[in-house]
Amino acid sequence: MATLHMLSHSPFSDNRLSSCLRLVGAADGVLLTGDAVYALQPGTAHYQALALLADSIALFALEEDLQARALSAPARVGVVDYAGFVELSIRFDKVNSWL
Amino acid sequence: MHDMSAKKSLLIISRQAPWAGPSAREALDIVLAGGAFDLPIGVLFLDDGVFQLLPAQHAGAVQQKDLSANLQALPLFGVESLYAAQCSLEERGLSAAPLSLTVECLEDAALSVLIDRYDQVITL
Amino acid sequence: MKFAIVLFAPAHSPAARRALRFAQAVLAGGHEIVRLFFYQDGVHSASANAVMGQDELDLASEWRAFVSEQQLDGVVCIAAALRRGVLNAEEAQRYQRPAANLAEGWVLSGLGQLHDAAQQADRLICFGGH
Repeated sequence: MATLHMLSHSPFSDNRLSSCLRLVGAADGVLLTGDAVYALQPGTAHYQALALLADSIALFALEEDLQARALSAPARVGVVDYAGFVELSIRFDKVNSWL
Repeated sequence: MHDMSAKKSLLIISRQAPWAGPSAREALDIVLAGGAFDLPIGVLFLDDGVFQLLPAQHAGAVQQKDLSANLQALPLFGVESLYAAQCSLEERGLSAAPLSLTVECLEDAALSVLIDRYDQVITL
Repeated sequence: MKFAIVLFAPAHSPAARRALRFAQAVLAGGHEIVRLFFYQDGVHSASANAVMGQDELDLASEWRAFVSEQQLDGVVCIAAALRRGVLNAEEAQRYQRPAANLAEGWVLSGLGQLHDAAQQADRLICFGGH
């Protein structure tokens, strides 16, 4: 059972990302949407934390949110549009949105 | 309800303190409704959600709803799979505290195993 | 695949817009939406009363149009709606409130409908949070 964790809050404003990374499983995925893409801001502890995640954990970011914030995704982060988002929700067994 | 022969299980991860806003109460409402329909439901108290488990709180002092009655009702509604994150308790100085509800305390590695066991999850 | 989509955020929240774009992509991908369920502040996304500027996104209207055009089952949690002041005509009358503001096409019902949708769906996806 692999879970896609979906985040949508800035990691600088609360602890959703750090809590998520504590309990993310080895086969899980993490999708950054909304302000959660700020975790890809280079030179930050959050960027480091994501870079240090096991290779088996797939990382994704929603394209429109990167574009809006003029952020680019490092190579290991898959950039998806909404069609890709739907595909991810199917590829993983369930989606855990960190509301 | 349609054919219930293969009921999907649902884990509710409750992350908010009791009176942070409506989430603690409204998460419990989802749990109780599921229990009332005899569905397999589990609850994990994570982050500030563990504050819901402190005994002797006085909701009335801030004119808020007392959630302890709802929490105590969980087993009555058939919801007995109750968990708390050990790291969340420790961060909040509660690892030795008596809790108002019998919960299984889980270390980090056990949390992903728990989530894997459920068909669906709602974190609020 | 069958999807149950639950929205917890009001219409002005980016989460409400993401939920709609996701729902549209679900249908465009040839999948089915068994139910839309609005809970917590998501009930405000079903309000008929929000007035948006001409150049602003009117997400509540977009949601209403989507439910109508695609003939989807759009349910708003009645308990969450009542305590947030989103009422249909029946509830406005029952509680003697001045206005019914639930948009056309949305039905007020209980959390049983959320569980029913979760049981029917292959995937349960939630959007929202503050």
